[in-house]
Amino acid sequence: MTVSAIEFSRLGPPKLRLYAMRCGSCNTLQPWWEKFHCYACGAERLTEEELAGTGELTNYTVVYYPPRDFLGQEPYVVGHITMDEGVVLPAPVVDTALEDVQLGTRVKATLRRMKLGHEGDVYYSQKFVLDTPGAEA
Amino acid sequence: MRVGVLGIGKTPHKIQHNKSLRDLIVEAGRTAISDAGVSPSDIQMLYVGNVGSVGFNYENSTGLMAAHHLGVVPAGAVRVEAACGTGAWALHLGVVAIASGLYDTVMVVGAEKMNDLATVEGTSVIAQAADSKEEYFSGLTFPSGVALTARKYMQTYGLTEEDLAHTSVKNHHYGARNPYAHLRFECTVEEVMRSAKVADPLKLYEVCPMTDAGSALVLCREEILKDQPDKPQVYITATAMASGTWYAVSDGLEDAHKLFAEPAAKAYAMAGVSAGDIDVAEIYNSFAIQEPLGIEGLGFAEQGKGWEGAADGSTWIDGKVAVNLSGGLLCKGHPLGATGSSQAVDIIEQLRGTAPEGIQRKDAAIGISACRGGPGAVGAIHIYQREG
Ligand SMILES: [Zn+2]
Repeated sequence: MTVSAIEFSRLGPPKLRLYAMRCGSCNTLQPWWEKFHCYACGAERLTEEELAGTGELTNYTVVYYPPRDFLGQEPYVVGHITMDEGVVLPAPVVDTALEDVQLGTRVKATLRRMKLGHEGDVYYSQKFVLDTPGAEA
Repeated sequence: MRVGVLGIGKTPHKIQHNKSLRDLIVEAGRTAISDAGVSPSDIQMLYVGNVGSVGFNYENSTGLMAAHHLGVVPAGAVRVEAACGTGAWALHLGVVAIASGLYDTVMVVGAEKMNDLATVEGTSVIAQAADSKEEYFSGLTFPSGVALTARKYMQTYGLTEEDLAHTSVKNHHYGARNPYAHLRFECTVEEVMRSAKVADPLKLYEVCPMTDAGSALVLCREEILKDQPDKPQVYITATAMASGTWYAVSDGLEDAHKLFAEPAAKAYAMAGVSAGDIDVAEIYNSFAIQEPLGIEGLGFAEQGKGWEGAADGSTWIDGKVAVNLSGGLLCKGHPLGATGSSQAVDIIEQLRGTAPEGIQRKDAAIGISACRGGPGAVGAIHIYQREG
């Protein structure tokens, strides 16, 4: 993905935070990109809400053929994480052997380098690691 | 509603380094024009389905380029794009154009030239058929997004990877017999299971190849075809389009089901037929799991049972309904913008009785095509009927 500096300035900073959007009408918590209307009820009043960062891996796959921005990371785990607040987010799960990942695995968010763009632009965003009691993220 | 199919054409589906995007468009288009027995100046409107010429080929305005090289100027020409549902959308617009009464004869072309890029670049272009700025920012790809659906399907209905592998076995059985298919070899359940991992639980034989191809149709008012009784009398009798989930994360099995079930219900009503009347179906399966989902959406099987037909024979050539006798996208390949029009051409060949030996359903009279696109964002249904 080639982006201009000005687009990078819009895309980059929100991904440094871990948040979701709360509907002011039906209370549904939904992914950060739902900024125009609630996908459950259509209401247009949504507010940002920070997430605690812990959740459960409720679906996952292992990618063996990555897009260019992710070259070198394969094979990597990417999946759906059901955050403890209830919203489901897509994210990679890293720092783990493939065989240690399964449905129901507890995970926690950590800010990592997500990928490299065409022109050396570096993207940071939320990845997840296993939430083992006592371990450091 | 009845729209006549005056002519059809397609190129082989494979990697064709000797052909450019325009070569594919002109080859498919000229074949359809010649099959229709018209000349380019008879075409009053041109709809060109093409998903990614900007990314794959560094060219744009594909509809206008096609109008020039097909020689249909000054007919109106436009490029149509709706992710992998593109070719079906071009067909929809062509059908609507005739049904509106504004035009007598129009042309639909779908084409994609995918193999000028390395796979890793192509994968990145394809990923733009989803939200590459947000959801797919996190390393998702189309195979991995669909892999998540496959895992959900297996979990929900208690199925194994072997259960799902039968779909690839059936598609490869017919793909091996289709001279226009990209992958032409048969395989067993064991070979599907042993094929390379692409995105767990999807394996290589459950994933379509990147293919260069074009396909085209010349459509006309019902009376024009009726007045030529020596031509094959195949009519499009229903077209129904829907949109669905733009994000894999919120795409549940129920959403995947509705994506086809809702437009299919409209299409059956429009054509005055039911699921039980269908002889042949071309169902989108760029990944094997999408075939059982489509079979269920079209009402050929209950939810959770769409995979069974490939295992018990009921979706094979002599089964209750023959599904993907072309070999499906798994074998034919998935030339994005050409896929929807290619499904139409393959069904029309079945109804004309001109499908290749070994994949012709005996006495096929009613057919359906179901195309989808994006994470779960396009559902496109067409029904075709032979007269006499
Ligand atoms: Zn709401």
